[in-house]
Amino acid sequence: MSGHFLGRKLGQAAVTIVAIVLLNFVLFRLMPGSPDRILLRNPNATPEAIAAIRERWGLDKPLFPDQLVDYIAATARFDLGDSFKFRGQTVGDVILDRVGPTVLLVGLGELISVIVGLAIGAYAGWKRGGVVDRVGSSVSLVLYSMPYFVIGMPLIVILAAGLGWFPTSGMQDVGAETGFVGGLVDLARHLALPLLTVSLGLIGQYSILMRSAIIETRSEDYITTARAKGLPDGRVLRRHAFPNALLPMVTLIAINFGYVIAGAITAEIVFSWPGLGTLTITALSARDYPVLQGIFLLVAISVVIANLLADLVYGVLDPRVRV
Amino acid sequence: MSAVAAGTASLRAQRWRIRLAGMRSFASRYARRADGMVGLIVLVLFGVLALFPELFVGPLETATTATGNAFDPPSAAHVFGADDLGRDMLNLTVHGARISMTIGLMATVITLVFGVAIGLISGYAGGKLDNALMRISDFFLVLPTFVLALILAPVLIDIVGVDVQILGIRATLMVIIVVIGITSWAATARIIRSQVLSLKERMFVDRARVIGAGPGRIIMGHILPNVVNLIVANAVLTFASAVLTETTLSFIGLGDPFQPSWGQILNSAQESGAPGLGAWWVIAPPAACVVLVVLCFTLVGNALDDLLNPKSQVRR
Repeated sequence: MSGHFLGRKLGQAAVTIVAIVLLNFVLFRLMPGSPDRILLRNPNATPEAIAAIRERWGLDKPLFPDQLVDYIAATARFDLGDSFKFRGQTVGDVILDRVGPTVLLVGLGELISVIVGLAIGAYAGWKRGGVVDRVGSSVSLVLYSMPYFVIGMPLIVILAAGLGWFPTSGMQDVGAETGFVGGLVDLARHLALPLLTVSLGLIGQYSILMRSAIIETRSEDYITTARAKGLPDGRVLRRHAFPNALLPMVTLIAINFGYVIAGAITAEIVFSWPGLGTLTITALSARDYPVLQGIFLLVAISVVIANLLADLVYGVLDPRVRV
Repeated sequence: MSAVAAGTASLRAQRWRIRLAGMRSFASRYARRADGMVGLIVLVLFGVLALFPELFVGPLETATTATGNAFDPPSAAHVFGADDLGRDMLNLTVHGARISMTIGLMATVITLVFGVAIGLISGYAGGKLDNALMRISDFFLVLPTFVLALILAPVLIDIVGVDVQILGIRATLMVIIVVIGITSWAATARIIRSQVLSLKERMFVDRARVIGAGPGRIIMGHILPNVVNLIVANAVLTFASAVLTETTLSFIGLGDPFQPSWGQILNSAQESGAPGLGAWWVIAPPAACVVLVVLCFTLVGNALDDLLNPKSQVRR
């Protein structure tokens, strides 16, 4: 891979991240809930207390360059300030506690839906107009129109509240079994429905995208050549069409990453899954801006990195884009 | 002099005849798309509900005017049952159509105005301006609308305050509309720009330039009419994603309880614990409406895209 291509992509990602940090900086100073204004609204706040808080947040210094430089330096050290809602905890600690469950949910969800979605999409596109295509495409289109929480709520009503097969919320039962196996089974029972929700939401998108990628590939000359050589149909699909159709999917899956996180946030809320989603809604209702900004920063940077990785992987797979 | 005027008049009439014939042939081609027609009919029905909700279910029920009891299951008196405050679900859902569709429509208009304007300018001007505008659109393309809205909406709601009304729409919802608009124009701008790039090299644009038309006239009079097709197809798909975004934002608590959209109704259902109680009737009506509306917009959008977008015609 040429250094020029790599450099340009890295540069673009860096600019985007700087823009995100700047946006956070501006918003934090624009909003009425900024710390000194909250204190100023309190009639009992002594001038000393206000001065102390202003100094703690660096609000006594000029906006530019002091505050901006301090803010960027602090952000680079992952010092995102203190939470309003969770007293005595830093934003970094509050968020770190919640990252694990979300990563588990999103990671497994992506894994399942990439495998299932690509398989369904590829088969539907290959046998265009067949039974799998007709049923699969209609179901995918309906799933594609559903926000994740709209998938999740009926699942709770039917499978958890109605049939009682799964717990309705949380990540483990209170006073659950302590053994490793028992704990794992308990976790799996709680994870099942949120995971099903995220996977169903994604399978719809991935199978639609994969189907059209396969349909486009199908009309390529090398497919005709492979057929002319007398290769069996399944082999043409697996060895010739599928790998080439996979190429655009790499980018699409990475670009989609931001939407997956957004969807996972709402799915978590439905199932009270103790990840970033439930933290988001807590922070939103308490207007805990430092935490909200921290979540925004984390999500935004992950999305940028996912896009960067997609560009780089695509550059390796398809040399034509490295211009 | 008058001969020239008469000539222009007949030219204009002729142009209209051509346009009408074009529309008629388009309508007949569209009518052959079964999926597009089903989508269109369902959307028209929802449009009627959104325009005249009082006609079907009377005024919006509030906690004080609720006609049922908490979590009444569906019955003859309340076909869709009642929510945790005893409000009739049919009443809420039909009124929700008005809120959800209005927000979707206004957000779409803002998205299109920004997207089309930036796409036209960027594509026609080229050079540094194009470069700068496209870098800005990169930022918005990378970050999903929802992620940006997550941080923008609460800040703006706090700045504007919740008790203000703008055009009869409460400030919270106005903020949602604006936030969706300013975060989702980039895709539209990209589509329009790429079409403008090819259009501006065409002969008719050169001719207009040679007879002395300025950039404004060329863009508005010669290029814009040629991207109207694209704008229409894009508008329908934008509408679908605007409704989805609004529903999601309301669901996580950024909506307005006093003007409940479908997402807001689902938020109340979630907060009252309806899913765990098995109160499916509080969830099913608004959820089904969201899915149906988004699905139908997608069907209509795809049908239009196939018929109007030059690129997708080549593909098929």
